[in-house]
Amino acid sequence: MSPHEIVEALRTWTPFLAAGFGWNVIVSVAAMAIGTVLGAGLAVARLSHRRALVRASLAATALTRNIPTFVFLYYLAFVIPVEVQIGPEVYALPAWVKASLALAVAVVGFVSDNFTEALRHWRARNPAEALMFIPNWTSYFVVIVMASSTASVIGVDELVSRCNTVIAAVDNPDLMLWIYLYAMAWFFVCCFPLYLLMRQVKASMAHRLPKHEETAVATLAADA
Amino acid sequence: MAARLLRTALLLLAAMACASAARADRLELIRARGVLVVGVKTEYPPFGMLDGSGAIVGVEPDLAADLARRLHVDLRLVGVTTANRLEKLADGSIDVLIATLGDTAKRRKIATLIEPDYYASGVTIMMPAKRKIADWTELRGQTVCTTQGAYFNRPMAQRYLLDLRTFNGPRDAMLALRQGQCVGFLYDDTAIAGALRLPEWHDYAMPLPSLLVSPWAIAIPQGENDGPLDRIVSDAVADWHRSGLLMALERKWQLKPSEFVRHAHALWSARDADGDYTCRRSADGAWPAACGEQEHAASDHPDGLERLGAEIRDLTGLDFTIVYDAYDRGQFLHGLMTALALVLSCVFGSVLLGGIGALALDARIPLVSPLAGAVATVARMTPPLLQIYIVVFGLGSILVKWGLALAPFLAVTICLSLYAGSACAVALAEAAELIRHRQPEFRLRPASLPLALRAAYQPVMAALVNIVKATGMASAVAVPELISSSTAIMAERGNSSVMMNVLMVVYFLIVLVTIWLFNRFHHWITAHVAP
Repeated sequence: MSPHEIVEALRTWTPFLAAGFGWNVIVSVAAMAIGTVLGAGLAVARLSHRRALVRASLAATALTRNIPTFVFLYYLAFVIPVEVQIGPEVYALPAWVKASLALAVAVVGFVSDNFTEALRHWRARNPAEALMFIPNWTSYFVVIVMASSTASVIGVDELVSRCNTVIAAVDNPDLMLWIYLYAMAWFFVCCFPLYLLMRQVKASMAHRLPKHEETAVATLAADA
Repeated sequence: MAARLLRTALLLLAAMACASAARADRLELIRARGVLVVGVKTEYPPFGMLDGSGAIVGVEPDLAADLARRLHVDLRLVGVTTANRLEKLADGSIDVLIATLGDTAKRRKIATLIEPDYYASGVTIMMPAKRKIADWTELRGQTVCTTQGAYFNRPMAQRYLLDLRTFNGPRDAMLALRQGQCVGFLYDDTAIAGALRLPEWHDYAMPLPSLLVSPWAIAIPQGENDGPLDRIVSDAVADWHRSGLLMALERKWQLKPSEFVRHAHALWSARDADGDYTCRRSADGAWPAACGEQEHAASDHPDGLERLGAEIRDLTGLDFTIVYDAYDRGQFLHGLMTALALVLSCVFGSVLLGGIGALALDARIPLVSPLAGAVATVARMTPPLLQIYIVVFGLGSILVKWGLALAPFLAVTICLSLYAGSACAVALAEAAELIRHRQPEFRLRPASLPLALRAAYQPVMAALVNIVKATGMASAVAVPELISSSTAIMAERGNSSVMMNVLMVVYFLIVLVTIWLFNRFHHWITAHVAP
């Protein structure tokens, strides 16, 4: 294939692939929403005065931290039914919902830890420190967007899985590398600027805080 | 702590396993939603494939359309693979499965297979034409590519002692064949014949006779047998044989006329002296035995352990084939060993690349340091699954032109090590920067790496634990690790809740042990490395 043909093929499939990336965003946003609500709940419980509640919350947090997301994705795909009929209504549980739930598990652990920290600072009348939660949370969103590509293995019609569809439809081995590289560029262009911006925000926020160096080491956990 | 965590995990898993809801009659469900959902193949020309616009077309989509017409509902086609088709049927994603499914006794236990069968195929092997081979026994001990969940995998592996490399779909398996990862591709003869018509496979052939010729059956969910859906679909298939629809579809899709279809047409359109079909339902609704295919039930002779396993299954509904079946057990243990090897090599690779990367970043050498920074950024800001696809399929298809092959295991190790190694390198370099605030003369050298590691311990450990969790991604490129072997067993046995719970618990334990080992290391490094 000539370079011109490759560019032409990528251009033709761009709307299809872009719609696939839309699914990555939807899955990631849903995962962040579910995970943030549950994780914040755990964080509040961790700062409670009741010992039992604190211990239960700590155990739940440790559990979510240690569940391998990729394996859990398969788990939800195969163990949870796809359709539930309640009365005359049929409720669907499509693959993208399951993918969001699986990714949300990682978010729960992250939010539980970081929101606890933020709440402590907030209650200690240290709002500037507490607000660091926001750039940390946004950086984690970037991590989740990248992890959303794994939803392809359970049949979510997102960018990577659409790449495979295109490759099967075009049936030209020469194009394969370029389609995957193109998808990689999509992720990079969408994630990297946001990551840089959040780093900038964090640095300028940290600048206004009293110095404490050891904890400032980047803790962006590259959760896959 | 670990024990309590494990107990919580087990409770959670048990609760989820019980969550599958009871279902009402399928036909009612189909009519309630006004749509018949049929699973068909998308990579099996001309039975099921994608056309230029991405729509699924072929013999089986045509049959599905005929079924929907008979039910007076709309049709939705869902692409399935050999590996997931019975799962999709069991979990309710699809109502009917028309996907080149061979009719076997084992499958009759996990789904309702419609009688009569509608087509037939056997298994054969696709090999480079230049390779001369006269008999199946010559393949003994050779590496052969195949697809997950195919009915012939197990008997062929056992009978001819093949070393099977199992891929998610024919596309990947055929690519591996081209790359020389295996001597041949084990697949349905009908599909191989279809592929060999394409120009890019002109130097390939199917030199050996077909084995295990098996009729194909439409499948509907387990528990629907003798129900209304069973009856409607079954009548439709009988009608296809009588009307010659299948022969017309063979002509439409330019298939070689099948002996099976010709024979079935004669059988099902034969009439007795009164002018009635000889193959018609008796008073109890069953077809005459003479109209069925050959005996399906291959008689099993279970040994003691197998009998015990079967009794547990009948008693509890839990089918632990990995305990009592030697083949499944071997496959699972091999998966476990491969997964552990992958964990070790990825952790080792990440630490190695992380150390080298940190030295390169901190050395401030023109060109080298910025380049290391760029590689680390790209590796961290793109999904590792895509990186794996790029290396295995993208680079693989280029390497093969020079006659080189890249083992998927190695490719996955490199990608995941690069991904986690980049995170480690950045964390170590940032730690070095921080140490410099106190000791301006500090430079990152091999000897001072432990000091930086002590400061950057948390992010480095987080990156390594994450990569241990992510090793399952190797299953996407057919590395025979835990997820691959578990899904392969599930596809054959239909015991998905057992296999998934076992898989989840085993992986969870691997993660716990890893964290425990890292913590031991942390104690050691804080005791032995002075800040």
